[in-house]
Order: sequence, then C-alpha cells, then structure tokens
Amino acid sequence: MEKILEVKDLELSFHTFAGEVKAIRGVNFDLLKGETLAIVGESGSGKSVTTKSIMRLLPEHSSEFKNGHILFNGKDLTKLSDREMQKIRGKDISMIFQDPMTSLNPTMTIGNQIMEPILKHRKVNKTEARKVAIDLLRLVGMPKPELRIKQYPHQFSGGQRQRIVIAIALACNPQILIADEPTTALDVTIQAQILELMKDLQKKIDTSIIFITHDLGVVANVADRVAVMYGGKIVEIGTVDEIFYNPQHPYTWGLLSSMPSLDVEEEKLYAIPGTPPDLLNPPKGDAFALRSDYAMQIDLEEDPPFFQVSDTHSAATWLLHPDAPQVEPPLSIIERMKKFPGSRYFTGTEGGTN
Amino acid sequence: MSSELKKLPAESFERITIDSSHSERIAKPSLSFWQDAWLRIRKNKAAIVSIFILVFILIMAFVGPMISPHDAETQTITHANLPPKVPGFEKLGFLDGVGTMAGKEVDLYEMKKVDTYYWFGTDGLGRDMFSRVWEGTQISLFIAFMAALIDMIIGVAYGGVSAFYGGRVDDMMQRVVEILYGIPTLVIVILMILFMEPGVTAIIIAITITGWIGMSRIVRGQVLRYKNQEFVLASRTLGASNPRIITKHILPNILGIIIINTMFTIPGAIFFEAFLSFIGLGLQPPAASLGTLINDGYKLVQYQPHILLFPSIILSLLMIAFNLLGDGLRDAFDPKMKD
Amino acid sequence: MAEKLLEIKNLKQYFNQGKPNEVRAVDDISFDIYKGETLGLVGESGCGKSTTGRSIIRLYNATDGEVIYDGVNVHDKKSKSDLKIFNRKMQMIFQDPYASLNPRMKVLDIIAEGLDIHGLVKTPKERKERVVELLETVGLNREHADRYPHEFSGGQRQRLGIARALAVEPEFIIADEPISALDVSIQAQVVNLLKELQEEKGLTYLFIAHDLSMVKYISDRIGVMYFGKLVELAPADELYKNPMHPYTQSLLSAIPLPDPNYERTRVRKSYDPASHNYQDGEEIAMREVNPGHFVFCSAKEFEAMKALSRA
Repeated sequence: MEKILEVKDLELSFHTFAGEVKAIRGVNFDLLKGETLAIVGESGSGKSVTTKSIMRLLPEHSSEFKNGHILFNGKDLTKLSDREMQKIRGKDISMIFQDPMTSLNPTMTIGNQIMEPILKHRKVNKTEARKVAIDLLRLVGMPKPELRIKQYPHQFSGGQRQRIVIAIALACNPQILIADEPTTALDVTIQAQILELMKDLQKKIDTSIIFITHDLGVVANVADRVAVMYGGKIVEIGTVDEIFYNPQHPYTWGLLSSMPSLDVEEEKLYAIPGTPPDLLNPPKGDAFALRSDYAMQIDLEEDPPFFQVSDTHSAATWLLHPDAPQVEPPLSIIERMKKFPGSRYFTGTEGGTN
Repeated sequence: MSSELKKLPAESFERITIDSSHSERIAKPSLSFWQDAWLRIRKNKAAIVSIFILVFILIMAFVGPMISPHDAETQTITHANLPPKVPGFEKLGFLDGVGTMAGKEVDLYEMKKVDTYYWFGTDGLGRDMFSRVWEGTQISLFIAFMAALIDMIIGVAYGGVSAFYGGRVDDMMQRVVEILYGIPTLVIVILMILFMEPGVTAIIIAITITGWIGMSRIVRGQVLRYKNQEFVLASRTLGASNPRIITKHILPNILGIIIINTMFTIPGAIFFEAFLSFIGLGLQPPAASLGTLINDGYKLVQYQPHILLFPSIILSLLMIAFNLLGDGLRDAFDPKMKD
Repeated sequence: MAEKLLEIKNLKQYFNQGKPNEVRAVDDISFDIYKGETLGLVGESGCGKSTTGRSIIRLYNATDGEVIYDGVNVHDKKSKSDLKIFNRKMQMIFQDPYASLNPRMKVLDIIAEGLDIHGLVKTPKERKERVVELLETVGLNREHADRYPHEFSGGQRQRLGIARALAVEPEFIIADEPISALDVSIQAQVVNLLKELQEEKGLTYLFIAHDLSMVKYISDRIGVMYFGKLVELAPADELYKNPMHPYTQSLLSAIPLPDPNYERTRVRKSYDPASHNYQDGEEIAMREVNPGHFVFCSAKEFEAMKALSRA
C-alpha cells in the first residue's frame, strides 16, 4: 500500500519556564493510504504533541524541532513556513479536536464555518460553496441541513457539533484526517454514532485517519494499525490484532490488564504502579522500566531499539532481545495470546485473526 | 525497524526489582503560590525596576524634607522664583541656577545674591521646592493609600457578601451598585466638596465614595467562581461552617486578584487627587500635594518650568511604576497566561 | 438479609421550579443501599446521577422526597450539630482532581480539615501523625504532607481526596465520577484502592460513573438512570447478562471493548423513548421482574419481560 505520510526520527522540545521539556523523543511511523492508525497513550505520552507537530500547530516561540522529518507529498513539513502550511491545513490535512463545545466559533453560523475552508482552498463562489456545505451536512447525518446551515453552534448538542466539526474537516476531501480524542468528551451512545460516522465517511472519501485516544475499546473498534506511545516515544506498533492479541511491550500489557473485561470475573485489576515520567528530565534507558515488573538491569542503562515481531509488528523492549530471559506476561494477557496463532500460548482452538 | 544487535554483557538481562514507592516521590522542591509568584516577578525586569522606583520615592517622601537645608513653609521673598541649583551638577551645565530673564540666560542666584542651594529651586513665595515637592508627595501617597485601603475593605466586603449569599441578597446588592455607578462621580464629588471642609478627609471620601465599586465587582466575580468549586463543596461535606469556608478557602484564593486590583487603584487615586487639586477642588494653600504643585506650576511653565517639572516627574513615575508592578503581579499570579 | 444503610424515597430535585426553564434533574427515584455494598449508578450526561449524589449528601436541599440514613431522615435536620453528625458518617469523593483540592493549602491542612472541624485530634503532633497514617493508607508518603496540590499528578490527587474523606471515619462514601478524569492505568490504581479500603474498613459506596466496565468491576448492584429517572436496578452481573429495559440494552450495546474480534461483530441498538408507547394514565413504576432485578415499566411491559425471562 502507498505511504501517505512518513514521520522519521522526530524529536521536539518545549522551552518552558522550568526548562526544556522533551515532549517527543524519537518517533517513527508511516501512514498508509486509506488506513486508520490509532495512537494510544496516556497524558504526557506525546500523542497530541506529535499530531500537532504534523499540523505545525505548536507555538513557534516555545517549541523547537530538535531532529527528524515529516514527509508528506514530497515535502518536509518541519521545514515549511507558516504560509506554506496554511495551504496544506484544511485542504490536504485536516484536524478535529476533543471538545465540541469549544471547537466551533460561537459567533459564526455553522454554514459559514463549513464554507470557510471550501472558499479558501477550492476556487468556487459562495453559492457553490453553500451547496457543498449543505451536502456535507447531509453526509454527516444532520437532518434538515438547508435549515440548520443558518444556525449557530449553541443551538446544537455536543454530538451534533462534533458532526459539524467533522463536516468542516472533510470539506476539501483531505488526504489525512487527524482526530485528537474526538469522542472522549461524548457520551457512550453518541460516541458510538460518531465512530460509525467516521468509519463510514472514511470509506466514501478514502481518507487516511490518525486517531488519537486513550480508550482501548475505541481503538479496537476503529483502528487498522495501532501505535502505543509512552514518555515521548512509540514503544510498540502493529496491526490491531497483533497489539490486542499478541502484545509484547510491558506497558501495553499493563494498559490492557488495567481494563476490566465485561465477561470475566476478576479478583483484582492489575494497576501499573507510579506515574508517567517527567519529560523535563527523562530517565536514562527505558522510560517505562521504573514502573515495570519485568525490568532488567539494561533497562536502566540503555534505551531499547525496536525488535521485529513480524513484518508489521515491532516493539521497543529489551525483553525481545535474543539473550533476554523468557518472561510470563500477566494472566489476562496470556488469555489474549491464546487466541493468536504465532504466540507461544496459542491453543490452536480459536481462529481469531485475519 | 530492528538494528544490528550488539553483543551485550550477560548481567544486562538480570531482572531487577523496582521499589514502586520511588515512583511516588516528588523530586522538585515545594513552592507555595507566593514563593512561585516571587520567582516569576524577579524575572520581570520592568516590575523590579518599578519596585525600586516606588521604594525610592517612598523613602524620599519622608527623608527628603529632612535632608534638605530648607523647610517647606519658610517664605523668603528675596529668594523667590529661583531655578534649581545642585552642588556638583552645576559644573555640568544644568541644575546650575541659570534661568532666563527678559530673554537672556542669567545666573539668577548670582543676581539675587543667594548663596545657598535650592535643589529643586523655589516658588513664587520663595519656598524651597525640594521640601515642598516631597511633602506634597507624602500627602498624595497618604491620600492614595488610604483611599485604596478603604476601597479594598468596602469593595471586598460588599462584593464578597453579595456573591457568597447569592440569590435575592445578591440581586438587591447589585441593583444598589448599579444605581450608584450610574450617578456621575464628578458631580457627587463637586457637590460634596462644596459642602465639606476642603482637605485630606474630603478628598479621601470623594475618591472612595464610588471607588469601591470596581473592586466589589471583581471580588464578586471571583467569589462566585470559587464558591462552587469542588474543594469548597468538599469542605462543606466535611461540615465546614461559612466563616471557615470564607477565610480558609475563598479568601486565600482571591487574595492575588485583590492585591493586583489595589495596585491599579492606587495610581488612579493619586491621579484623581491631582486632578481635583488641579481644578481647585482639592487641598487649599499652604497645604501641598502633587496636584496643587502642578496647578501652581503650569501657570508659570514658560518662565519657571522647574515648578511644574519636578512634581510632574514624580507623579508620572508613580503612575508608571504602579501600573508596571500591577502588570507584573498579574503575570506572576497567573502563569498559565504566559507559558 | 443485609441491613439497609440508606433508603432513598421518591427523591426529587428540580431546579428553577415552576419557571419555563425548569429542569427536573432527579425526578422521583427510590432505591436502597445495603450496608457494606457498592451500588453503582450509571447514566449519560444529564441523567441526574451526580445531582442524586449531591442531594443525598445535602449539598443541595431536595425539592421533595426522603433520604433516610440508618433510620434518620437526613433532610429533616435543621440544627448545625445534627448535620455535623451526618458529615462524619457520609463523605464524598469528587470528579475533578484539579478542582477538588484547595490550591493554596498544604496537603497536611487539606487532609486534616475534617479532623479540625470535628475536633478529632488534640495536639499538632497527633494531627500530623493521623494525616501521615492516612497518606500511607492511600499509598503516598509522609513527605507529601508538606507539599501543595499542584505538585501531584491526577491520580495522586484523587488519592488525596480519598484520604481527606477517610479522615472523619465515615461509614458511607459517595464517589462522584472519581476516575473519569484519570488515565486508564491510573483508574485501576484508584479503583483497587477503593476496593481495599472497603474491605478493611467495612465501607459502603455509592459509585457514580459513566464508564460501564469499571462500574461493573467495582459494584455489587447497579442502577441505570435516564433523564432523571431510575430505569433499571439489578445485581451487576445480572444487569450485564440480562438487561431488560431498552435503554440499558442500548447503552450496553454501545460500549466498545478492547477486543477487535468482538468489535467487528458488535451491533449497536438505538433507544427511542417513544417506542414505549405509554398511554395516558398508564402507571409506570419500578417493578421486580426477577428477584433483585427491578425495571421501570408499565404493567404491560412487565408481563412481557416476565414472560421472556421464563422462556
């Protein structure tokens, strides 16, 4: 499949009052055409910062690209000026944010807000743009679009606003849609509707989606591939089945084990002890080691490189080094691995993968 | 994305146990809100310079009249209208006692046979401007601080009660404020001054009569914001009484805003007093404030510019310094705006 | 049969009553909470679950209805000293770890506040020792007492909130969305802590949340709220295995699980309140369809559900 976006060795720091915060410490991934890549991580992992750096939305005076490239359509986005980025934003790469209450301008009608990118990027007149806007509203499932196009954001519910935001983002058929926790602030039933909408639209418009979230259920629902981030780096990346049924990094194990399952009775939830690292002074070696039950001496000294688990699956943990001792993952993870051919726990009774 | 695996020593793969209580430790030193604000203010050069200026002026206001060889009241007619002369500076060509007379530059001290130095010169009645200016500054500062203090006390109490009790109490109190606010202040002040003995008390009352409204509005907004915060609710569920909630929870959180607002009230008060005195509604001679001095001075600006110059400089410095300091405090107390 | 600790009877909380913008946040709900259990209360935003919690603990004065704690009506009490007794027995943990601790107070004072108000310690030394004890109970260190809230992470702050609530030795704790604002791995820490404390101290919890998988893990029984009404109440397992009210079914079918195979085949059910087709005069009430499993329905629906569960 064709690569739409290539992020190579990205490093970015913030200069704050307290010092230099190394928010992204070496991130590598590709985005393929038509796929949905989910980036999972907790607060401070760097997932939001990564996508904001792709869009170059970080404050210029306090953020700095220390290293790396973001290759899109033959250009390195880290090197472009703001004017050049403006031609890309909203047209080739669009972004939707978490809070539907603050994503829309309360003083503009939604019609004008949807038409804004259309008028800017596509050479059409206002009547034409209005027609496109109405079609978009219909596409995102808004009833009576011709009437509602004149209304203001406060006249819509949270879920409806998120639909409008999606309409604005897709107005110019972008190649990439970056969705930064688009359903975190929504109720479960509304979330389900919005996710269904996004998957539906992706098929129609054939756009690639980078989906950021901390909710592993949502990831299982939308993603083709998953990248797990911790402490400013990607620690594991693979297809959605590989990550959920054959995870290799202790952090991924921790994340999956700390979610109660609806069908199994559990005595105690596994909880990852401690808190995420302070990126003002990132720890030496493997950033997750201090919270891991599987830490080894080398984790305190050297940063692990990526080890290939399959063509599509790799993880940055010393546990995958050929000399590393074989460890037993937590019980709930073993249960998952039993369904995955290729893992050492595979029982051969369930087929589970594509 | 694997790289060539280098050979690693065998011990590297030994399992280690991590003491998870380590992960709960907080490494950075503890800073209270005030300590943190002080660190931020220190980095703001404008604010630090302002602090120095204000401290200097404050000290001079008291020390000035004492160190001057002349006092503020003595009128020496023969020494009238002398330009400033400072020992040491005279060699440099200014502050050398030279003024214009009938179009020509003349050393007036020589002419009038004056052998003492008047650092800021003298006024029309031969009084030492140096002492007069600093005494005037004393009075202006006193009026301003008293006015700011009264504004703060009334404003905080009124706004706080209005917001904390809410409901009908709040509605009524705010209606009263709106009515008061609608009446033009200057009219009240003029009427008041016509009926009262002109003097420091009258001016303070004039400034505070509606001055507290601004503070009460701000305090009301802040109290409304904090009284429904979860930590206040938590305190209620623990059984805290209203006085406890006000003193321990709400006040400490709004203190910063109160200080900032007071910082901005002071220059307003100084200027208002100067304005009142300037239009003749303020202090009466021989009492001096920066405003009366400026009033005296502007009439003579063509011939004796020094009479206007010094009080104006001090007034301007005070205004600018308080405003810069207020800005600096606002940034220091609300760091989210900067980073 | 376990004894009842709390009886909620026909609780109503209306805001702006009588005016055009009247909001019936809690609209006549009744349920019991038994000693030592965890009752989960779930629903989406605007359903009234938080308001229910706050009404029980008297942060709001209920518009109508009774809250009977250990036989005594909470909302009746007018005198300060009477209320204070309830303050010791019932405590609350809040949702927002950033807003629930006073930024200007040291942790020591925050946690000791309950001790101070009720006069539970005599000397500053005793006060400090008690606070340290509480800090250690929630998994923090003695050095944390001298620090300020902003120095802690979200999960640690929630634990401080728990320590604060425990200081007065309550019997009953209302947890109002205590983990919604936390990261996934931290949620597990806090939930484990709550479970441990419940066992150690024999606490009773009302756990209000919208994350259904966490609620099932921690609760013995679960109540589902929809627009101010309680639509279903059942033991946790029973609710998930056999949801009867169409809203509950819709809610459960919308939850995404961290299991791609399940997700590929999951079908979501929508809920339309008009589908009940309630006629005027029909009595809609909480009826016991199976032992311990209550559903808010009409007599007709009740018969239909009973028939289904017999099959």
